[in-house]
Amino acid sequence: MDYLRKYLSTPDQGQRPSGADTVERLCNRVTSSTLLDDRRDAVRALKSLSRKFRLEVGTQGMAILINVLQLDRNDTEITGYALDTLANIMSNEPSEDEDEMQLNLPEDIGSQFTEMFIKDPENVSLLLSLLEEYDFHVRWPTVKLLTVLLTNKSREMQECILVSPMGVSKLMDLLSDSREIIRNDGLLLLIQLTKNNANIQKIVAFESAFERSLDIIREEGNSDGGIVVEDCLLLIINLLKNNSSNQIFFKEGGFVQRLTPFFTLQPADQNPQGGWSAQKVTNIHLMLQAVRTLVSPSSPAQQTQSCQKSMYQCGLLQELCSILMATGVPADVLTETINTVSEVIRGNPGNQEYFASVMAPSNPPRPAIVVLLMSMVNEKQPFPLRCAVLYCFQSFLYKNELGQSQIVQTLLPTSADANTISAGQLLCGGLFSTDTLSTWFAAVALLHSIVDNTTQKEQLLRVQLATSLGNPPVSLLQQCTNILAQGAKLQTRVGLLMLLCNWVAHSTVGVTHLLHHANNVPFLISQISASEGDEHELLVQGLCAFLLGICVHFNNDQEPNYTKQALRQIIEKRIGIENFNDKLSQVTKHEGYSKAAKKPQLNLKSQNEVLFDHAFTRLFKSLENDILKSVLEVQENGEVQSANVEEHDKVVMQYKEVIRSQDEELGSIRQELLELKNKYSAAEKQLEEFQQTVQQLKDQNALLKVGRGQGQDNNGAELLKLKQEVEAHQKDLEEKNTAIEKLKNDLTIAEAKTLVAVSSEENGEPVPGEAAILQATVNRVTQELEEMKVSIANKDQDILQYKNKFEESERQIGELKQIPPQTATTVDDSRVAELQARLQGLEGDNKTVTNEKNTLQERLKKSNEDNLKLEDQIKKLEEENRRILEEKSEAEEETKSLKTEQDDLLVLLADQDTKLDTYKTKLKELGVQVESDDEDLGDDDLDDISGDENELDS
Amino acid sequence: MSYAYLFKYIIIGDTGVGKSCLLLQFTDKRFQPVHDLTIGVEFGARMITIDGKQIKLQIWDTAGQESFRSITRSYYRGAAGALLVYDITRRDTFNHLTTWLEDARQHSSSNMVIMLIGNKSDLEARRDVKKEEGEAFAREHGLIFMETSAKTAANVEEAFINTAKEIYQKIQDGVFDINNESNGIKLGPQQSRSQGGMNQAGGGGDSQSGGCC
Repeated sequence: MDYLRKYLSTPDQGQRPSGADTVERLCNRVTSSTLLDDRRDAVRALKSLSRKFRLEVGTQGMAILINVLQLDRNDTEITGYALDTLANIMSNEPSEDEDEMQLNLPEDIGSQFTEMFIKDPENVSLLLSLLEEYDFHVRWPTVKLLTVLLTNKSREMQECILVSPMGVSKLMDLLSDSREIIRNDGLLLLIQLTKNNANIQKIVAFESAFERSLDIIREEGNSDGGIVVEDCLLLIINLLKNNSSNQIFFKEGGFVQRLTPFFTLQPADQNPQGGWSAQKVTNIHLMLQAVRTLVSPSSPAQQTQSCQKSMYQCGLLQELCSILMATGVPADVLTETINTVSEVIRGNPGNQEYFASVMAPSNPPRPAIVVLLMSMVNEKQPFPLRCAVLYCFQSFLYKNELGQSQIVQTLLPTSADANTISAGQLLCGGLFSTDTLSTWFAAVALLHSIVDNTTQKEQLLRVQLATSLGNPPVSLLQQCTNILAQGAKLQTRVGLLMLLCNWVAHSTVGVTHLLHHANNVPFLISQISASEGDEHELLVQGLCAFLLGICVHFNNDQEPNYTKQALRQIIEKRIGIENFNDKLSQVTKHEGYSKAAKKPQLNLKSQNEVLFDHAFTRLFKSLENDILKSVLEVQENGEVQSANVEEHDKVVMQYKEVIRSQDEELGSIRQELLELKNKYSAAEKQLEEFQQTVQQLKDQNALLKVGRGQGQDNNGAELLKLKQEVEAHQKDLEEKNTAIEKLKNDLTIAEAKTLVAVSSEENGEPVPGEAAILQATVNRVTQELEEMKVSIANKDQDILQYKNKFEESERQIGELKQIPPQTATTVDDSRVAELQARLQGLEGDNKTVTNEKNTLQERLKKSNEDNLKLEDQIKKLEEENRRILEEKSEAEEETKSLKTEQDDLLVLLADQDTKLDTYKTKLKELGVQVESDDEDLGDDDLDDISGDENELDS
Repeated sequence: MSYAYLFKYIIIGDTGVGKSCLLLQFTDKRFQPVHDLTIGVEFGARMITIDGKQIKLQIWDTAGQESFRSITRSYYRGAAGALLVYDITRRDTFNHLTTWLEDARQHSSSNMVIMLIGNKSDLEARRDVKKEEGEAFAREHGLIFMETSAKTAANVEEAFINTAKEIYQKIQDGVFDINNESNGIKLGPQQSRSQGGMNQAGGGGDSQSGGCC
């Protein structure tokens, strides 16, 4: 590309216009020219000027170039130039050609331009869409430009890409590009993209980034590969670091085993003279870092454990250990490998056990631990390596009581074997070495052999050291205090004090041992009470105060001279409480303390910084307050006791009594409460269980019903038969009901007919069998009869009246006949004739009434006959009705008996269900899977059940 | 870790419908009544057996909140199955299904199997969306449907396994191109070419631990 630039810049130089002018002219050409060729030439020219006149091109040309990307994207060439130009003005990378660089530019010019560019997120989307263009001239510069943007404005760009649809996916596709240069630059882009953004890291991992990177690494020859391997590893580390979701994915995806081949050394690697290429060293370092990311002590313990386990299972730990024991491995690689092994075994019993069994290929073979410890206490070894060994040793003993006992065992007289070098020997040797660092390392290593392990603390008390011939042996504890008293170098003293503090903390036996030697307490007192001293001395004084405090706190008064009380008084009198506190607080004030408290691995640049150990800081933190309390008690108790001990005691006793009784009461009440709570929860549980059982039974019942309905079961068939029977009976009943209904209808019709018959006086035969209607008719007839009777009675009365009148008339006639002389005969005769006429009329009247009476009586007789006939018919009908009712009740009784039968069967069914249930649980207990079938059945047939139930209910 | 196939799933749906709980119930067989909001996306995995074949499910549980939508969209492509979850006690979560479905169809491969899930079926008393409505929606859009309870574990296994069965069937029918990994399907180590004995050996060791998860 250089030749192009030269070629293009000649005409410009000939005219010698200022850079800014040229840029302006070119920009105008790009915007105004209608010919694509012209525009393309102008953009190409801009590109060639974009380094030398970076500011001008950037300020005047950016909008124009973006416009080109939008409008001329069909022309790959001009798009490529525009992209290159943009990359040039934004990139902060120094160009290869020094003269080309514009001088006196602000440092952050690149990021300023970047900010301008991404102000409109559309621009980023535009670039991402350009990635879809396969042409090399477009895709490659796009990748480079995106990388520049990401480098300059990481966070903003990440947000833009996240928001852009499928943005990350498009970038991930670069890894599958067949053109190596795009794939490799795509890798660089992804490394920038995934920096410190968990969301993007996860998407990239989702898009198979682990798989692709590991494939590339394998294709490139693992650790022997070039810089691409390094880039892949950087990407993998980016994805894993502080991203537990991705770590789980990595482990679950089975990628851990794909790390194993990274650490398989070729025979050539083991050649001491061969040496490793710088690239290989870098690659291995990154590979180790990837492993450490997965098992970092700061990750959640469960996750670390599972990664550690699979690292052992896939042979990765074994490969790492073989690197430890190999020759020709560069020191820094070896150091980092030791650190990695440390974290792979830390707190994992299986891996620790394996590590203990690793043997170095020396003659005679020695355990790897011993070989490593030899390096640790060897002052000629590089400092980082010695720190790494200590870390490894600590990790081996972390939460590993067995390992601790194995180490301490090698110090005990019983197992001492003079011919072999043991870990214990090395540690003792180191402890009393003239090299102060060796002493410190050995002291801290010993500290970890007994940390949180009271048994081993007491075992270690048994260790006796042979001094020069003739002198009695000295205990290890005493030897440590002796060295302390001799006033060695700072690191030696700090190391020994940390060891002693850990040793006697939580161990009353240890405290007694320490106090037993007459010199120890005075030495500590003299140290703590010293007023002068620099920073280092203050630190030692603080540690001495801590040790003395431990002696107070864990004192069981076995040493008569230095009981708890005695020590308190000594502290108060000789040092003063204030002073003691002040000295104690010196420890935490030290900057080395907070540094060591952060994480278990020693992270020191130089050996001068060596002071504190992580485990010690934990101990200090946990005991600091307790010790202060223990020591402060001196004051309070002392004062009160001096006031009036006896009275005080009495009062205290009284209170104690009260408190005791209250305690007892409280205890019993608490127990009661607990019992009640238990009962309550048990009852609740039972209730719940019952509810569940009921539900289950219901479900199963329904299920079984269905099963029966399908004829899968004998009972089902029976039930079906019963059901059918019931149905048939019901049908019969219904038929009978309809018959009755029909009869009733007929009856009404008959009634109507009878009515008609009666009203028309025709003796039409009433239709038989219609009792009610007939009855009504009869009623009506009877009523009529009554009416007629009444009318007859009336007429009878009339007749009687007439008769009376007649008799009266006859008597009058007789009277008249008896007195005829008195009256005129003519008058008499006319009157008689009149009376006789009247009599005749009356007799005629009487005759008609009698006739009438006779006809009425006849009619009555006929009606009575009718009535009788009708009553007969009613009787017949009633009989028939009774018969039907009887039949009905019979049918009902039958139904009832069937129902009871069915109920019995349901009960039986329930019993069978419970039995079935118990068998199921038994089967389950026996480990047979029963449930699943039932559940499947249940799901499929749920609808059928409800249908069946409806039928049964009706 | 010898598996015949690896399927990638995503779980989508409104916030609070129980996506993370479904995943937790499926992978760890436990229920956590109080769960933090999912930030972005979380990962979980489990092995299942279909048709006698071991199938590894890798599941990405997405955040339901609108603000994470652009992140979760990135997971549609490259997933073979999606569990679209709503809450039967909250109608609005059901009403939003159309939006979710549109989003999923737009960004995923057309073959992605989508299982519609009405979660919280244990809360029958508070039910707000009828089962029939869910069924109808599923029928209308060609989805598989199930009501589950992450709390009681009812149908949870079935939901994940039936989705896998559907994918498996599509593979058998030749609908999925197995060699294109962006489908969210991968052949197991022993089936893909060019991976030597190393993986086999490693796989053997890991299957012992694989049982637990």
